[in-house]
Amino acid sequence: MDYEVKASDDFLWVLLPTELDHYQADRIRQEVKDEMREHIIKYIVFDFKQTTMMDSSGIGLITGRYRDVASQGGQVYVSHVDDHMKKVLTLSGLYRIVVPWEHIVSSV
Amino acid sequence: MSITNELVVEFPAIGENESLARVIVSVFVAGLNPTIEELSDLKVAVSEAVTNAIIHGYDSEKYLYDTGKPEQEQGAAGRDIANQIRLAMSLEGRTVTVSVTDHGCGIEDIDRAMEPLYTTKPDQERSGMGFSFMEAFTNELQVSSTPGQGTTVIMKKVIGE
Ligand SMILES: Nc1ncnc2c1ncn2[C@@H]1O[C@H](COP(=O)(O)OP(=O)(O)OP(=O)(O)O)[C@@H](O)[C@H]1O
Ligand SMILES: [Mg+2]
Repeated sequence: MDYEVKASDDFLWVLLPTELDHYQADRIRQEVKDEMREHIIKYIVFDFKQTTMMDSSGIGLITGRYRDVASQGGQVYVSHVDDHMKKVLTLSGLYRIVVPWEHIVSSV
Repeated sequence: MSITNELVVEFPAIGENESLARVIVSVFVAGLNPTIEELSDLKVAVSEAVTNAIIHGYDSEKYLYDTGKPEQEQGAAGRDIANQIRLAMSLEGRTVTVSVTDHGCGIEDIDRAMEPLYTTKPDQERSGMGFSFMEAFTNELQVSSTPGQGTTVIMKKVIGE
């Protein structure tokens, strides 16, 4: 399944594709950057709901967007992370910078 | 049951073929009934090796980042189909061996290239995690390379241990 990018106020929601590789990451990066030029985005949610595979290109995509919003005091969230994705995120050290979205939702 | 099998394919070094390579390897090992996790691991490893061949071996991204336009909009210049990647796989018992070969620029210092977080393309949002992922998601990784001639990555993974 394909990806989707939606902005609402200072939030950007990025529904990731079934397999997030270098080819897909480049397309998503382009669209996310376009949205970030049109809206002032502080918070980004990367939603893995339909994603079954991610390689290191996804790490670059997420880290890059973290750099974009962190300077604004923003935050990057990850949502619907399955076991495989958890392994990839842990191995890459990405959990040091991203916050599981479900933690936020359940603590509200 | 012990299966012996082999398959070799060659394709141009373009981004669309990353998913093609993953699908081919997945179908090749289907007879071993891999778990979803084993399949995801194998897909990541294949994806890393093929992506490296495209963006480092053949530097196919330089057009994209020089002009800021996606490859698709640049016509033939951005997609040199003479740049071929060879994907070979073999099966012996429960062990699948996948090798990915490019005839691109090669790697000067393999040990350094394989260090976690080492990347020569930080400007293109590479994280330097590719080789670490190949190592973590397979049972064995071998890299051989000759500067100016190309690179071969060989990975072995045992399915259903
Ligand atoms: N096929 C190749 N040909 C030439 N150089 C390569 C090749 N594969 C890897 N390299 C070199 O090794 C370095 C490390 O590769 P690795 O896959 O670990 O990280 P990366 O590709 O830079 O980043 P990431 O994989 O996280 O997106 C690359 O930056 C590149 O300089
Ligand atoms: Mg890589």
